[in-house]
Order: sequence, then C-alpha cells, then structure tokens
Amino acid sequence: MKNSSFLIVAIAVLISLIGILSIYSSTFSKEGKFWQGIFKRQISWVILGLVCFYFISNLNYRRIWDWTYLLYFLALCFLFFVFALGVVRSGAQRWLKIAWFNFQPSDIAKLILVIFLARYFSRKSVDDINLPSSKFGVFRGLVLPFIFTAIPMGLIIEQPDLGNGLLILASFIAMLYLTNIRLRYILIFLIIIGLVSPFLWHFLHDYQKERLLVFLNPNIDPLGAGYTIIQSKIAIGSGGFFGKGWLSGTQSQLRFLPESHTDFIFATFSEQWGFLGSLILIALYYFLIRQGIIIAQRTQDAFGRLLAFGISLMLGIQVFVNIAMNLGLAPVVGLPLPLMSYGGSSVLATFIALGILVNIDKTRSVF
Amino acid sequence: MVRIKIINILVTCAFLVLIFGLIYLEVIQGKKYRVLSNKNCIRLLPQSGARGKILDRYGNVIADSKLSYDVMISPQGSANREEALMGVSHVLKISQNDLREKIKKDYVSMSLPVVIARNIDIKKAIALEELKPDLAGVIIQLKPQRRYPYNSLAAHVIGYLNEIDRWRLTRLADYGYKTKDIVGFGGVEEKYDYFLRQEEGGLSVEVDHRGRFMRVLGFKPPKNGKDIQLTLSLKIQRIVESYLADRKGSVIIMDPYTGEILAMASSPVFNPSVFVDRKGYSIAGIFNNRDAPLINRSISGTFPPASVFKVIPAVAGLETKKISLSKTFVCTGSTLIGRREFNCWSKHGEENIIQAIAHSCDTFFYKTGLLLGPLAIHDYALKFGLSKSTSFELPYESGGFIPSPLWKKVNRFQNWYEGDTANLVIGQGDCLVTPLQMARMMAVFANKGYLVTPYIVKAIGGKDISIYQKKFSRLDLKDSTIENIRIGLKEAVSLSTGTGNVLSGLSVSVAGKTGTAQAPPGLSHAWFVGFFPFKNPKYVICVFLERAGPGYLSCVLAKQIIEAMANEGEI
Repeated sequence: MKNSSFLIVAIAVLISLIGILSIYSSTFSKEGKFWQGIFKRQISWVILGLVCFYFISNLNYRRIWDWTYLLYFLALCFLFFVFALGVVRSGAQRWLKIAWFNFQPSDIAKLILVIFLARYFSRKSVDDINLPSSKFGVFRGLVLPFIFTAIPMGLIIEQPDLGNGLLILASFIAMLYLTNIRLRYILIFLIIIGLVSPFLWHFLHDYQKERLLVFLNPNIDPLGAGYTIIQSKIAIGSGGFFGKGWLSGTQSQLRFLPESHTDFIFATFSEQWGFLGSLILIALYYFLIRQGIIIAQRTQDAFGRLLAFGISLMLGIQVFVNIAMNLGLAPVVGLPLPLMSYGGSSVLATFIALGILVNIDKTRSVF
Repeated sequence: MVRIKIINILVTCAFLVLIFGLIYLEVIQGKKYRVLSNKNCIRLLPQSGARGKILDRYGNVIADSKLSYDVMISPQGSANREEALMGVSHVLKISQNDLREKIKKDYVSMSLPVVIARNIDIKKAIALEELKPDLAGVIIQLKPQRRYPYNSLAAHVIGYLNEIDRWRLTRLADYGYKTKDIVGFGGVEEKYDYFLRQEEGGLSVEVDHRGRFMRVLGFKPPKNGKDIQLTLSLKIQRIVESYLADRKGSVIIMDPYTGEILAMASSPVFNPSVFVDRKGYSIAGIFNNRDAPLINRSISGTFPPASVFKVIPAVAGLETKKISLSKTFVCTGSTLIGRREFNCWSKHGEENIIQAIAHSCDTFFYKTGLLLGPLAIHDYALKFGLSKSTSFELPYESGGFIPSPLWKKVNRFQNWYEGDTANLVIGQGDCLVTPLQMARMMAVFANKGYLVTPYIVKAIGGKDISIYQKKFSRLDLKDSTIENIRIGLKEAVSLSTGTGNVLSGLSVSVAGKTGTAQAPPGLSHAWFVGFFPFKNPKYVICVFLERAGPGYLSCVLAKQIIEAMANEGEI
C-alpha cells in the first residue's frame, strides 16, 4: 500500500523554504523593522502551518462530515465580520484583525466550501461508493449547490476580492464535473455564466475593469494599471536561463516590481533563479497536485474522493492562475501563490488542506 | 472515470502552458527583457573631458577650453531643499520661483540632478562652494567649454562648435556620435573633430524604483581630446586681420615651398564664442547676415581672377613657343576680335611679354590668346591646379571653374568664339577661382616650378604630420619661362608704370600681379597676388577684396600687411 504523506510533506516544506528565501530576497533591501522581520514571520507561519498539518492529518476526515454545516456557518459569519469590522488595506476590506495578526477569512472560506460541496454530493455511508449525484435533477444538482456557493462567493467578491471569488466559482465547476452530474447541466451552467458575464462587467470596480483591459494590452497604461504586469514580465524575462542569482534580482530588490513578496513572488523567484529554477518550482507544484489527484483516485468512498479532488484542483487552479498572471498570461487578480506568497492565513489554509489530503490517504487504508 | 482522465489531462496541460510561457519569456525573449531591466535600474551620469586645443605654429593657443561652472540641484535630498533654494537664489540672483519652475521643467528622475544655472561666474561658483555644507543637494559641476582668447581671430580656419545636426548624426553615428553632442562646424573643428573630440566618461549607478541612488557600478575617467597644431602664425594672422578689418575679402599668406598656410583671413568674420554662449539672437544674426560671414572666402568663395590669370597664357605662350621674348604686339587701346571691339584698360604701345605682364596689357594677351587657342590656355590653367580643388584639408573648398569649348558646346549648346578666348585669356567670362588657388598658382613662380599642396595642420596630439602633408609636384616648365615671368611680376611692382607700383617703396622687394575683376552690377573685385622677398621668396601673398574697386586697393592692403610684417621682423 502506497502512502503519499511523506512526499506531500517533503514537497510542501521544500516549496515553503523556497518561499521564505524569496520573501527574504524581496524585502531585505527595504528599510524598517517590519520589512526586515517579514521572512521570520513567514517562518513562524510555516511552522504553525506544519503543526496544524500534523493535527489535521491525524484527525479522521469523516469527522469533518459531521461538522460541515457548522463550518459553513462559521465561514459565513467570518465573511460578515469582515464587512462589519474588517481592516481596510489598499482599498479592500479583506482582513480581520485577530490579536496580533490580520486574518483573511476568504482563504479558509474557500476550503470550507470545498468540504461543503464534497459533503453535499456524497452520502455518509462509507460503503456507498457510488455518487448519488448522477440521479440529481437540475434543482438538486445545480441550483441548490450553486446557491450555497454563491453566498460566500458573493461576499468575497464584494470585499472586493475578485481572485478568491472566481477561484471558488472555478472550484465549484471542477467539482460539479467530477460528481457525475449530467454534462448537460454543466454546459447549461457555463452558457448562463457566459451570457450573464457581460452584464456583470458593470458591477466590477473600476480598478478591476482596468486590470482586465490592461491584461489585453498592458501598454495602454504602462505607469498605472499596466505597470505591475510589465514589471513582472521584465523581472521574469530578465532572469534568462540561469537567473541573476540569489539577492541579485534588480527588479524585485530595487522595488520596480510591486507586491514582490505576495502575489508576484513567482516573478521574484524567477528573476533570481532563471528558467532552470522556475522549471523545478513548477515541477514541484505539479508533483504536489498530482499526489493529491492520485490520492483521490485511490480513495473509494465518495466523500473522501470528492474532497481530495476538490482540494487538489483548488490548489492547482490557484497555482496556475497565479503563475499565469505573473507570466502575463492571465489578468491580474489578487491570488496568492500557495505556500510561497507571504500571508499567514493563506499558508495555514494550504497546510490544513494538505493535512486533510494526507488524512484521507491514511484513513483510506483502514477500511 | 472518463471525467477523471480528462481532469488529469487538463491539469497536465495547464502546467505545460505555464512551462511554455516560461520558455517564451525567459529563454526566447530573455535578452530583450534583460535590456529592459537594465534600463530600469542603471543610470549614467556623464562627465566630459576637454576638447583638444588648437594652437598656432609656435604653440600659442588660438582656441582652448576653460572650465565652466554649472549649478545643479539633486532632487533626492529634498529635506532641506527650501533652504538650499533660498541660498542658491541669493547667490545667483535668480528668484526662487524661477528656480522651482526650472527644476519642475527639467526634472527627469530622482537620481539625476537638474541643472538650474549654466556657466555661472567663477566668484559665484566659489561662493556656492563655500556655502555648500548648508545647501543640501546642490552640486557645482565643472564642465570644459571652448574659449577663444582672440575672439574671432582665424575664426574661419577654426570653425565653430554647435550641437550635432541630423545630417551629421546619420553619417557619424557609427563613430560613436550621439544626439546633443557638440561637434565642429567648418574649419579645423569640423575636419579634425574626431581627434579634437573629448571622450566622455562618467559614472554608471544603480537606482531603485524611485530613482534613488543605490550604488556605483563603475567609473570611466573622461579623456581630453588631442591638441591640433596649425601652421598658422598667430602674429601674421593678427596683422592680416587687423588690416583687412571689416572689408569684405580674403587674405592668404603661404609658404611657397611647403604650402604651409601662415595666415588665412576671411571677412566678414563671426565670433565663434557666440555659439558657446548659445545666445539665440546673435546666432540667428550670423545665419541671417546677407554677407555670409560663415563662408570662408579664401577657399569657398569663387571669383573671376581677371588679370591675375594672365600669367597662365603667358606661360603657355612661352612654353608652346607661340610667342617669345622678342615678340611684340602694339596696344592701341582696343582690338577688333570677330565683330566686337575689345578694349584694353590703357594705351600701351608696343610691348613684349615682360612689359605686358608689368602693365597688365589686355591687348597683348588678347592677341596671345588667339595665337594659343582656348584649349592650350585651358590645359595650362589646369596644370596650375585651377578648375579643381587644391586638396586643401579644410572642408567646403570650392574648385572654381575654367571654361573650355567642349564645356560650352555641351552645356550651353553654343560654339566657342574667339571673343570667348579673349575673355578667357584675361580671366573674365566664366572663369572662377578661389583666392587659395591664386596663391598656389603664384607659388609656382616663387619656388621656381613646383605646384605645392596647401595645408594648415602641422601636428595632431603632438605628432608632427607635416611630412604627410607636404605634397608638391614639379610642373614641367622651362627655367627660362619661369624666369621671364618672374621678371614681369617684379616689374609690375618696380616699374613706375607697373600696376603694382604702390608696393615698390617697401624694404623688401615684392613681385606680383594685380587684377581688377569686372563683376557687374556693382564695383569690381580687387586682386593682388604676389610673393616676397623677390630673391629668396619666403611668402606668397594673395589679397582679395570683394566688390571694393580697382586692384590698386588690394595693392595698398598688401603693402600695409608687408610693411607691418617687416616691422615685426617676420621677413
């Protein structure tokens, strides 16, 4: 019986270390205590994340089944709290100040939603390996789950956090696809989204519209909205094959690249380590996500399988969108790169998600 | 299970897309982005060396560089900028608002200091330098700038400096010239710009995203340009220019054996320092002046040589044996050629070649010309280097023109008439020469048979190049021919009836030929071309006055110059 837990821990820790190195390299030249200590903060987050990972991986995932509605309710509460009490930072209200750190509930909320959807489309019985959802009608199979998804999604998009909101939508579609729902429904759903999205354009904030327009042509506003994407491409491109070397990346270290320690950490890394380093990093992410999918495929019970798929695909989408955005292949939506980007809640949520994955793998062998 | 397979494929494809994107950006476009990233963070702070000096033959400075002081303020140290601005405004007597305007207007980036005042007085520079501890971010930059100690002296030989124009830039970009470079225009400054030019050095520094200075990446010390030593003699040049004064014309004094130019003046002159100070209205004044002060009349101006030209048919006549010493013609004041009456300027009676040169008798030469035919005259003119440039090194030299029957046929569709020969033989009609060509022609008689190539640069960067410059060829003339013409030239001065008799009272014996070129409408051009002392000639002199009147005026000017040279002990 194969067991993937070691591999997952090893890859996750490796990526986290790369992330810490990159955060250090992007902030070491900045002045101020906060910036100097930021990589230490990330180290403590990773350690905390590993502790969470340990606990979660030893907590039978079937227990989560029972807590699902409670978790869902908590997630909604948090998101409402953000509206009421959230910290406003750079024009967005995404964070809750808890004790000494700022916590971003949307990171946890998207994980809870994946759990919720997995629960929704499966039965409690462990022995029932067939998904009931193939018999679902439009209402039970599409409308109802979408309503459950749309509530947190809407709250997150309103923060505004378009990136995480769309990530939830994408994860929803991916899970829907894996639940044996009739393909028709999914197609109808996609068509409806396609038809509605032009109207949704008017609900977007101006800066979000700008970002989308700039993605199509970064040069329309090179010093404004297009600046980030241009600088990110310059950072990655100038790395060349072998990179500029550790701590020698001019784009990130001289701060031409904004958000070089969070959303654009990949560009920071790629500038210093070049094509070779980036290839290895992308391969690591690929193996991590492959492991998640392999676990899902090995798992017999419907809940575990869906959950494992959901977690892997959510991570996969996040990695893909973030790196694509760094490369200028996707519009700039504020999505962190899991495990690499600076940010406590993102690191914690990712480790918890990986903990669940490992637990599914472990517990599966018990049956 | 099919769906799971599809998901697997999709995941793999997504990562492949990322890898392809990465290959495109880093491997294929890597070089382009590396350049862009360097542009982001590397700034050059230029420092210029001094342009090479221009010296006369004894090493006296004609043009050199002085230090000019520019005041710059660095936008970076903005903490005490108000205080600094106050101090600067106090010393320079410029209002603070003007300074602020200037900074706003010229601002480039945080790391690049803005020039707020150019070329300030040295006293003010010292005052600012002393106040510097209190003036945050104020920089006094030393910049070498062209200085002309004698103002417009030899301005046409030197040329002037100005910002490179588009035409020159396209030609010189391969040699490292950039826009806004200061380059030479005209004269030695243009011709030897490549040697005179200083090499820019400077600092390359790394800056951050706000343009703040991070560290020095490298330093290249600036190099001064090479000095150029001319063959000009400052003393003679000053004499020449002081007597030419503001009359339009040109004076050349040349060594008849080597072709070294000892003085070359052209009038009206311009003051090259106008271009250094960059005062727009005075520059526009120079360009708009109808007398074209920028033109070096000595080499670029072409005029009919008139009687000065007569030595050529004289040589041709003696060489081809069409005439001899004993051959005489009678001058009755005019002669009929074809159906037209051609006048002489006086009635000379019976004259041989020597007397004809001395008296500049037109009738004698009309008749000689008819004996020779136009082709022979044309050929001998070309032998003496006319109708093409003298290979003098300064730019914009004209070649002049000597007509021939073939040219007339091809260009004017007319036959050559004897009247044309008559015009040619006295250097009128379509004949055009430059003063330098006349000086060179006269040098043949001074040095007894050699056609020299005039030159003006003796040494570049301390290396003597005169051996490469000295080029002369022996004209295949009989000694007797040259001797007879020399006598004619001498008698033009020494005979009381000679055209250049005014020059006879000098301490040195002068030989030469006058010329009065008809150039209707308006006054005629006055020529005197000669050499002195007669026995062992040291100098060839060519005096040309544009639309001044009869050749006599040039003789007077030549006399004044030679007299002054003699007084200064230059002969």
